[in-house]
Amino acid sequence: MKVSFRWLRDVAPGIGLTAREAMAQLALRGAPVEEVDDLSEGLRDIVIGQVLEARPHPNADRLTLCRVMGPDGEVPVVCGAPDVRSGAYYPFAPVGAVLPGGFKIGKRKIRGEFSQGMLCSERELELGEDHAGIMPLEGEFDPGAPFAKAAGLDDFRFDVEVTPNRGDLLSHVGIARELHPRGQDGIVLPAFPRTGGNGAGAGAGGHAATAGGAGASFVRGGSEADSAGVRIRIEDPELCPRYLGAVIRGVTVGPSPGWLADRLRAAGARPINNVVDATNYVMLELGQPLHAFDLDRLADRTIVVGRARPGESLVTLDGEARAITPEMLMIRDAREPVAIAGVMGGRDSEVSDATADILLECALFEPKQVRATRRALGMSTDASYRFERGVDPTSMETAVLRAVELILAAAGGSLDGEVIDACPAPWEAPVVALRPSRVKHLLGVEFTPREIIALLAPLGYMVATRGDDSIEFVVPGHRSYDTLREVDLIEEVARTHGYDVFPSTLSPFRPGTVPDDPLFQLEDRLRARLAGDGISEAQTPALGPARHGDVPLLNPMSADESCLRRDRLPGLVTHLERNLSRGVRDVRLFELGTAFAPGGDSVPAESARAAVVLHGRREPMQWGGSDRRFDVYDIARVMELIADEAWPGGTVVPARGGAAGADPGGEDAASTAEASGLAADAFVAGRCFELVNAAGGVVGRGGEIRPAAMDLPPWAGTVVGAEIGLPASPDRKAAVTARELPDQPASQRDVAFLVRGEVAAGEVLRAARAGGGHLLEEAGLFDLYTGDDLPPGTRSVAIRLRFRARGRTLTDKEVDRACRRVLKKVKEATGVEPRS
Amino acid sequence: MIEELRKLQRDALAAIREARDAADLERIRVRYLGRREGRLSRLLRGLGRLSAQERPAAGAAANRAKQSLGDALKGRLAELAAAEPRREPDLDLTLPPRRKWRGTIHPVSQAVDDIWTIFRGLGFTRARGPEVDTEWYNFVALNTPLDHPAADEQDTLYLAPGLLLRSHTSPVQIRTMEKYPPPIRIIAPGMVYRRDTYDATHTPAFAQIEGLVVDEGVTFVDFKATLAEFARRFWGPGTQVRFRPSFFPFTEPSAEVDVKRVIVREDGTEEETDWIEIMGAGMVDPAVLDNVGYDSERYTGWAFGMGPARVALLRHGVRDLRLFYENDMRFLGQFT
Repeated sequence: MKVSFRWLRDVAPGIGLTAREAMAQLALRGAPVEEVDDLSEGLRDIVIGQVLEARPHPNADRLTLCRVMGPDGEVPVVCGAPDVRSGAYYPFAPVGAVLPGGFKIGKRKIRGEFSQGMLCSERELELGEDHAGIMPLEGEFDPGAPFAKAAGLDDFRFDVEVTPNRGDLLSHVGIARELHPRGQDGIVLPAFPRTGGNGAGAGAGGHAATAGGAGASFVRGGSEADSAGVRIRIEDPELCPRYLGAVIRGVTVGPSPGWLADRLRAAGARPINNVVDATNYVMLELGQPLHAFDLDRLADRTIVVGRARPGESLVTLDGEARAITPEMLMIRDAREPVAIAGVMGGRDSEVSDATADILLECALFEPKQVRATRRALGMSTDASYRFERGVDPTSMETAVLRAVELILAAAGGSLDGEVIDACPAPWEAPVVALRPSRVKHLLGVEFTPREIIALLAPLGYMVATRGDDSIEFVVPGHRSYDTLREVDLIEEVARTHGYDVFPSTLSPFRPGTVPDDPLFQLEDRLRARLAGDGISEAQTPALGPARHGDVPLLNPMSADESCLRRDRLPGLVTHLERNLSRGVRDVRLFELGTAFAPGGDSVPAESARAAVVLHGRREPMQWGGSDRRFDVYDIARVMELIADEAWPGGTVVPARGGAAGADPGGEDAASTAEASGLAADAFVAGRCFELVNAAGGVVGRGGEIRPAAMDLPPWAGTVVGAEIGLPASPDRKAAVTARELPDQPASQRDVAFLVRGEVAAGEVLRAARAGGGHLLEEAGLFDLYTGDDLPPGTRSVAIRLRFRARGRTLTDKEVDRACRRVLKKVKEATGVEPRS
Repeated sequence: MIEELRKLQRDALAAIREARDAADLERIRVRYLGRREGRLSRLLRGLGRLSAQERPAAGAAANRAKQSLGDALKGRLAELAAAEPRREPDLDLTLPPRRKWRGTIHPVSQAVDDIWTIFRGLGFTRARGPEVDTEWYNFVALNTPLDHPAADEQDTLYLAPGLLLRSHTSPVQIRTMEKYPPPIRIIAPGMVYRRDTYDATHTPAFAQIEGLVVDEGVTFVDFKATLAEFARRFWGPGTQVRFRPSFFPFTEPSAEVDVKRVIVREDGTEEETDWIEIMGAGMVDPAVLDNVGYDSERYTGWAFGMGPARVALLRHGVRDLRLFYENDMRFLGQFT
């Protein structure tokens, strides 16, 4: 809501605040000023100049040579305007001044005469369109004084943030109520300035005196009422409880007088013509939307408020043909719709330069109806915005009379007959009971009934009855949409008392019943472990293109964000690509996030995931370092690291052939949903691992990411990554039972096997472990070698065997025997023999 | 003989005292104690020429001298070693230490974690809720009728009629209260979604942290006190906290919470910031308690919602929110 600070002070003369103080107070009353414009900012350099003498320029017919009294005394000024008068005051831009348009005034010589400054026109100051002549100022001024202040143009435009419950703040009066110490009682609507000859309003003054304000009367009716040959009928009282209509004849439509146009501009509105501007003025002042119809365009001079008939349509003021439907409430004439109730008028009945007679509408429409209609039409107007948030039902008469008065003053004409008041459903003020004990219960501070009443009265709440621990308040019209319950009144007490006045003392508390969510704890541990491992955490949106998800959005913003992701890895790969494209070559990213799968009963299944991508060097470039790059064995290690925390007892194994067919294991619903997804198609066949949990279910995959699935620069190397499902409710890590340390020394033997290509090293290792018996403590693969000195197609796989017995030292003979058993088992299982 | 021994011992001890290094000592050892040419050895070989009466005493004296010289050599060697440390091959300690890759936790996660740490200290636990939710949980149960303009405030992403991506973490309030009885004392971090396009202050998906306290006797004073305590612990003891009236359909009274921090500049001078909005909050609306079957006459509570990304933005001086979601290694790497 944009408001003029001057206008606020005009409707509540007792506001003794500076603009800055007013902003601070509004913030503390729940209506912060989001933006403030100093309207005189462009006029800062402009001062009052008095022309002491004006005589024709000796060398030019159309120029005048003036002596101007300005801030620096008398200076010569050459002026192009024909009508400069000696002794008159004008806005004056001295040498060095910058005009609102950015033009800087310099010392010049014009046709042989010096000119030290410029007398300004309205247009040069961006105050109006008039550039024919310079702008004379009425009255007496101090030459050299700031012009904006002297001319009453020093104003601020506040953009006030109004929350959706405060429809009452969508007007200058509403905001002024929050600023005036006496609230509503401080409001005094100002008289309109007498219009000085702007053409259109000629002769209007007399009419205004008779028709304005108290002079007018109403012809009251229920669903129907008429006056001045105009009939108003309300078909749907629930959606339109009241409709006031005023007939004004003989208006002259034209530009608004300057003060009115200035006012609207100061509040951020665009002047259109005197009639429309008058309705907008009253809306901005009182919050009541109004509409003026060209009376001659209303068939049978009839207004019917009712639903649209099937198949009707309407072209609105903005030239759009609106597809209206029978649920929508329309303002109709005898034949067809002429306006969408509470939203926008029709083009055909709009006030134009040719309009002589008008019907002024001042109506009340039900908020939900207006909201549903304007949403269905995909539009929002100043009127619908206010009706949706609730328009004060008690200020309608004031509004219509004020608009009539302003139209007569600005556009001439006269009120014909009485104002028509069709009111099938008279408004009744809500009455809300408040218990002072409940105020203390909620706010923690005791308020006496007297204090409560003193806080609420300035807001317009009147006491209806008082009882033991109960006060009934009558709610004022402007708050009648929001204050319906006891707690709403308590909020008003707190707000008016001032939130900052309440004490801020910590009290003891009871612990809650909710256990700390174990998945958060798991995520904390994973973050710490993965970051500690040199991988940085990324955050990517869960929204992706259609190829990345199976759960589409109904109203996506773009094709790239049209689906919920089925896996996190592709999104992370996108960010890897972005890093590479920026020349960042070493990329290690992980992410913890949610993946989405279509759900059985239409609610998608969510699962928590960890995703990792690695590319580039395995360690930073350094002296004595290696230049090795990440490969699939690195991602297998990261998978083990994640398994440590997320899936204790889980193992990383080579993916079994067709990954898509992997069967889910474990009872965990999350892992069931995950197994089919889990980035199954992301990896190069034969370079992919699975993480198998202790129950035997596949809960994660990782490996070399298919180059075809990525968009990488040509220099990029292998990218490895993983997608791991996290348990929906991880168990607390079971406490480990500690093993005692051995007393006896171990015996170690290294064996190198010559392994043919088709035999898996892992099988050799497994066989070695199986053959070692109970004396074999550990078997570890410590070297892998291929070279020309080996038979073609073979590798040397070196395994270190460590033997130990409890309670005694092994003899060489025992160890030799155990070693032979290992070799035998390896031979049996894989056909592999030791290198000689 | 005894005289000669004494002299030999004197000379040797003097020489040992004069020795400058281990090599000197070795030469002295060879000169006096050397097996063949050593002076003491030669003297001892002369023992045979002595009479049987003299021999035992001279032998004992020779042994004592040998012992004492051996001790003196050892002692002097230790002295020299202590005075002048052994020289090892030179290391250039200006070489950079061996490094591993450093990983970082995302700045927004760090903010969530720091916020959580404080609330944990104030007796809170963490609760979680789904990211896809229904209009009931996201709006209606939170006292936000769909035909009220308040529902417009958040432009919501829908999956199907009635099914949406939560536009705030507040549905976790409802889900938690449905599942657990009072007292409730939780925070609920999580991702939320809005129909916003990327700009310097908006992203369609962002983190939020909800907070909820419900018990008997919880008042506006507790609400102010707890959040002010949080703010001072998070932004420093000098932080001022301001509560401004506002509107959220699910709290009443509602407030925006602002903080004014004291920043200590590098030259030691202090500077106050402007008021910075950090969260929306308020007393839980009784309609919300009624919707989950709590007795709203008996129980009261308060709730808040805050954006950790905004917190991270402010604390790290980041000007554009998008930087947080581009995941450039050079950006992330700064948050060690």
